[in-house]
Order: sequence, then structure tokens, then C-alpha cells
Amino acid sequence: METLGIFKDIETAGGAVESLIKAGFAEAEITSLTSVAYPDGVLVKTDGRSWFRWLAVAGGIVGAVAGFFLAAGTAWLYPVQTGDKPIITFYPTGIVTFELAMLFAIIGTMAGMFLEMKLPPRGKRPYDPAISEGYIGISVAVMSQDQGSRAKEIMRKAGALRTMKEETL
Amino acid sequence: MSENNEHTLAAKSAKQLNDEMLSSMRAPTWRWHLLAFALGAVVAWGLYAFTYQMMTGMNVTGKNRPVMWGFYITSFVFWVGLSHSGTMVSAILRLSQANWRRPILRAAEAMTVFSITVAGLFPIIHLGRNWVVHYFLPYPNQRGLWPNFRSALLWDVTAITTYLIGSTLFLYLGMLPDLALARDRSSGWRRKVYEVLAMGWRGSAHEWSVYHKASTLMAALIIPVAVSVHSIVAWDFAVTVVPGWHSTIFPPYFVIGAITSGVAAVISLMIIIRRAFHLEDYLTPLHFDNMGKLLLVICLLWSYAYFVDVNITWYAHEPIEWEVFSFMADKYTLLLLLMLFGNSVLPIATLCFKKLRRNITLMLVVSLLINVCMFIERYLIIVPSLSRKNMPFVWHTYFPSWVEMSIAAAAFAGFALLYTIFAKYFPIMAVTDVRELEVRKAHVPLGRAKVPAIAGDD
Repeated sequence: METLGIFKDIETAGGAVESLIKAGFAEAEITSLTSVAYPDGVLVKTDGRSWFRWLAVAGGIVGAVAGFFLAAGTAWLYPVQTGDKPIITFYPTGIVTFELAMLFAIIGTMAGMFLEMKLPPRGKRPYDPAISEGYIGISVAVMSQDQGSRAKEIMRKAGALRTMKEETL
Repeated sequence: MSENNEHTLAAKSAKQLNDEMLSSMRAPTWRWHLLAFALGAVVAWGLYAFTYQMMTGMNVTGKNRPVMWGFYITSFVFWVGLSHSGTMVSAILRLSQANWRRPILRAAEAMTVFSITVAGLFPIIHLGRNWVVHYFLPYPNQRGLWPNFRSALLWDVTAITTYLIGSTLFLYLGMLPDLALARDRSSGWRRKVYEVLAMGWRGSAHEWSVYHKASTLMAALIIPVAVSVHSIVAWDFAVTVVPGWHSTIFPPYFVIGAITSGVAAVISLMIIIRRAFHLEDYLTPLHFDNMGKLLLVICLLWSYAYFVDVNITWYAHEPIEWEVFSFMADKYTLLLLLMLFGNSVLPIATLCFKKLRRNITLMLVVSLLINVCMFIERYLIIVPSLSRKNMPFVWHTYFPSWVEMSIAAAAFAGFALLYTIFAKYFPIMAVTDVRELEVRKAHVPLGRAKVPAIAGDD
């Protein structure tokens, strides 16, 4: 469950985050919703680690293997004898292997990015289109109605223009 | 950006910046419809010419022994070259964290996607029996056919498919936050489309963090693909034993030529977009200055590569190589001189000067002329070499027929139409990228002056 507060500017939003942390909310449970990226720590701190690059690497390896078998494997399966030229040749195999490795690495990057972002989301999450117009959203993951009400109260005191729980996109 | 421009943008609210940068997405005017109709009419004419060629046969083209690669392959190489720089320039500028890149990114990336799409059509048009194009695809079939990967043409198919998919994903990745912006500002069917494309993006800190890492990784991955694509197109020529083509310098020469035409096309498009959507505050003389410097360097490199190639032909004086060059210099003197003027003399002479680089009209003339001359360059690579191949008894010249010219014209119109439609339905400026710089910019006191500073790492 999430509670979202909408702030007019970055200063009041930053103040709200400070107040939430002081009130005992864990920083990891708080996130900002913004239409532009702010440097890490301006509003909240993110976990610098990410795993999606491994999916890009895995994609690259799968692509390289697929490319190798497509060029070299099928040349071996469907041999076209031309003079004394080898059936499996370095250039074509290298090129097809490289291209497919890159293609799958790129697809792996995109897929990994969305998986790590958890997009598209499974359910409805609180959001306000005003965020696109420069307003700042501060979202807190809460476990109970009580916690949610407390978070709302803190954000209102910190200058939130409005708060919401289950708004649709 | 100039100081005046910085203050102009800083004084604007996020809503104002959004309104201005998304102005291209307003309801189409009668002018837009007229333009789309005119471009559509040229495309329709090209489709008619292509249908006529399919029904009648390849004899309606100007191709004949020994010139079996004519306008279609010239167009193919030209459009692949054009596609080269959009994604590559964007990727290099992203990796080098050049802040001035921001208003340019989208125009460049979209150019790549549409030009590689157009490029991919030409080998199919060139095939002759276009209806059996699926024979290229590697799948088990009752004909017992399997693509021969030893053919350089198959390398092309693989490389172009990779580049098309990679560039489309790169464009989409860059647009993701802007699609969410478009979603929040639209209604009806458009909103539904943007909702699907935005994938539920909210702009959380985690999403931004992953997004930036993915953008950097994609930029790093797409550069070698871009270089490989044009190197492979060059190998279509260089791995043959046709005089004039069989040269080790061809891959780097093609890559340099591709970047030249691509950078020039990005500049032309920037000028057109700037004028059409009144984006003078965003695409400032500084952007043209920087792109002009880049173009200058690339034109110098192109001149060097061309000089080296011709110089070796002249110094070695191998009879058949010299025959091809002499034939080109004699029969196509005007085209050759125009090519050297447009690709080398004019850009080097003008782009050396800051004042001229910041002159938008002049930049439009230089950049358009470069692309005209790059088309000529590709024509001069292909036609004279094939006209004077090793067997003198089949020496022959070539001139494109109306069918080939119609299809080539339709390709230009098709590219422009795709771009026009894209600009109407998708953000043509990287809105969040530009706004990100604005929110992070501040003027800090240093000694007696206040100097601009940008908060945080890029």
C-alpha cells in the first residue's frame, strides 16, 4: 500500500522526506515521483546496486551462441561446397555471431531494465498527472491504515498540496 | 547555451517548457495536412513505379550488363549512411555527458530509425523477384533452401536487422519519460496509446536510477553496432574484386562518409524543426556551433580518406584501377567536382569560422549540399567501377530510368512523411532531458562574477 503527497517545489518535498524519516519511516520505504531526474540524495537516496546488466550479459551470450550456430552450425548441416573453400568460414561466422550477440544484449538490456523497474505494474498505484507539470510526489510504502494516515498528516504539515492512496494512472 | 538563452529558459515554469517543447503535438493544421498529402502523393507515385517494375520486369530500369547495381544500391548505401549518425551521435554525446546534446537527441534518434527503415527497402526493391524475399530468412522449408552466410548480402540483412531493432529500442528508451508526459497531457485514444507505451512510468527515484544506467549501457552497445553496419555495407564492395572497390580503406572510409552525411542531416533537421515548431529558445546558435565543429572534423577526415584512396590509385597506376578513375573523372567531371566542393571545400572553408557556424541559413545550405554530394559520392563509387570492370568487351555506361528515379524520390518523400507523422504524434524534443538540465542549473558566485554550475553527476 502506498500513500502519496504532492508538493509544489523541491524544497518542501525535501522537508517532507526529512519529517517522515524523523517520524520513524524507513528511508528505503520512501520514494520521490518526479518528471525529471534529480541527483541522488536531493530527495531520497536510492540503492546504487542494480542487476539488470547481468540480463544484458546473458542476452549477449545467448545471442553469440545463437549466431554461431546459425552461421557455422547450419553451414555444417547444409554444406555448400564452393571450390576448395571451407564450409565453416571465419568472416561470416564472426559477423553473424557479433550481430546477434549485440542484438540479444540490447534486447536483454531493455527487458532487464523493465524487470528491475517492475514495469508495467501489476496493480494500480497512486499517481498524479500534476507531477508531469513539475510538481513533486513523495510516496511512502505503508503497512497499515494507521501508518498511512500518519504519513498523510506528516506530509500535509510539511506543505503537501494534496495526498492520496489509490489513484489510478 | 548563451547567457540570454539560459535566463529565458530559467524564467519559464515546467508547464511552459512542456507546452513549448510539445507544441509539435498540437492538433494538425491545414498546412500539416497539405504537407502530408503532398508527401503521400510522391510515395504513391513511387509505389506505382515499383508495381510497374514488378509487373513488367527489371528491364524497365536502366540496369544492364555490366552495371547491375544502379540507383537502388546507391540509395541503399546513402540511406544506411544517413541512418548512421543519428543514433551514434546521440550515443557518443550521452556517453561524453555533453549537456548541449539534450535538445538534439530525439531528432537524431528518430532520423536513424526512419532512414534505416527506408534503406532496408532498397535491397528488396533491387531483388527483381521481390515476392520471394522470404527465401532470405533462415527457416526449414520443403525447397531445401538455406541462406548462404558466406554471401556479404546476408551479412547486410543481419546487420541492418540488428541496427533497426537496436535503434528503435534506443529511440523508445530515450522517449519513455516523455511518453509518460504525453500520457498525462492527453485524452481519448491518444492517451490509451501513450499509456501502453509509457508502461506505467511514474518517475520514481528507482525508475530514474535504473533508466540512466540502462541509457548509458544502450549507448555503449549501439555504437559498435552502428560502426559494424556501415563496415559491412563497405564489405559488400570491398570483398569483391571489382576495380575501385577492392580496397582496405573502404570500411573506415564508408563509416566516415556515413557520419558526414548523418551529422549534416541532423543539422538540416534541427533547422527545419526549429523553424516549424518555433523552438528558437531550445535549438540555439550554440547547438549549431557545436554540431558545426563536429561536422568540420568529420569533413576533414572524409577529405583525408578520399585523398588517400585516390592517391594510392594514382601512385600505383595499376591499369584497370586507373582506367576506372580516368573514366569517372572524364565522364562524370561535373559530378566529381561538385562532390569535392560540397563534401570538402565548402564545409572546411565555412565551418572553420564561429560566426559562420552560428549562421543558421548558411548551416542549412552547407548541410543540405553535403547530403546531395554524399548521394553523388555513392553513385560515383558504384557506377563507374561497374561500367569499367575487367572485361572491356562488356564496358557500358548507365543512366537511371524514370522508374528508378521515381522510387528514389518516393524514398525521400517516405522518409519525410514518416518524420512528419512522428513529430505530430510523439515528442520531437527530449523534453525531460532539457528540463532536467534546467532544474539542475544554478548561478553560483565566484570572485566578482556569478558563473553557471550544474548540480550532480550526469
